[in-house]
Amino acid sequence: MFNQIFGKYLVDSGRLTEEQLQDVIESEAEVRVKLGLIAVAEKLLTKEQADEINQLQTIMDKRFGDIAVMKGYLNEETVASLLKKQANVYMLFCQTLIDKEIMTLEEVDQALADYQTMEGFTHSDMDDLVSGDVDRTVRIFLPQDSALDAQLCGIMIRTVLRIINENAYVTKAFMVNELTVDNFAMQKLLGDHTIYVGFAGASDSLLNVAEPFANEEFERVDMDALDAVGEFINCVNGLFASDLSVKNINVDMAPPEYFDSPVKLSGEQICVFPVVIGDEPINFILSVDSSIQVTPIGE
Amino acid sequence: MAKVLIVDDSRTSRKMLRNVLENNGHVIVDEAMNGQEGVQKFQACKPDLVTLDITMPIVDGVEALKMIRAFSSDVKIVMVTAAGQKSKMIECIKLGADEFITKPYEPGEVARVVESLLS
Repeated sequence: MFNQIFGKYLVDSGRLTEEQLQDVIESEAEVRVKLGLIAVAEKLLTKEQADEINQLQTIMDKRFGDIAVMKGYLNEETVASLLKKQANVYMLFCQTLIDKEIMTLEEVDQALADYQTMEGFTHSDMDDLVSGDVDRTVRIFLPQDSALDAQLCGIMIRTVLRIINENAYVTKAFMVNELTVDNFAMQKLLGDHTIYVGFAGASDSLLNVAEPFANEEFERVDMDALDAVGEFINCVNGLFASDLSVKNINVDMAPPEYFDSPVKLSGEQICVFPVVIGDEPINFILSVDSSIQVTPIGE
Repeated sequence: MAKVLIVDDSRTSRKMLRNVLENNGHVIVDEAMNGQEGVQKFQACKPDLVTLDITMPIVDGVEALKMIRAFSSDVKIVMVTAAGQKSKMIECIKLGADEFITKPYEPGEVARVVESLLS
């Protein structure tokens, strides 16, 4: 996700063209080595074991290495040594820019410093960003230090990257009391916490979630497309509820609700976390221990 | 080949499940959008196997399981869950659910679960 976030800044600030960014990202994909691949190449896992772990990742919000340890295929020490063999995302991005003679290392460093100033990030925030770790990245984009918000947003973006679009990225989240949206899919979690979770779109932007999830084309964001978005939210919330249950926090999911025409969302603490999928921003909406009222526009 | 009734409030989920089951040679005799409709359609079409989503409006999957088991102890019932619904899964086992499949569907897993129940 670092590439998309920092790459977008480089494009917006005129240092890189969209085409160059795409070229850099595509080139990186060729050299990025997955943990499973390294483990199989080093004969630490069989291909069948690696496939099994990849499969489990579709239903468990865990990293490849964590599942390998859980299954008893690898120990933590081996996973740590494999992780070291994967290139750091920032270095990989820099290396590709330099190899393609698009920017020098000094220019990249200066751009990163300018980006830090623009966003008001601390050095620690920047360490989190260049780490490439999704959870650390999500935390620096959230407006408040809430463990539940961070946990849910982390699961959401990891699931988006895994199932919806591997080039998705986030921008800075913000808090509102009111928000008007063109369409909205939402699910409530009830139990030890009351949590509202949804995706809100402008025009047809939610198709970027609905179509890849349902593996189907929709003409517009109608109730069927929103149903697909709702099912995706259901999967995210299921993973979230599963993680919470480990800490003896229990929440259960209510059936999703859909709104296919403009609505106003109102509440005391609505967190809006923009996720860019396929160049279009979609708002991930959440409210923890506070309610969201949904009112059709015109009422 | 089995006659299957799919009960799920999500059109997307019903469609995904229908594709997987039909690709494995089963016949979808009907679909229902909530537990109440599911129980009615169960009585009407007498399927060999029912898939029941747990989270549904009006009558949820747990209640529908209870009602269907009151009519039949033979029909195979597969509960459809999201991750993180362990307490409901335990409740379903006590009420007579035969198996579970988790969303998002993994076609191989769905086929394996259904085949194991029908064999």
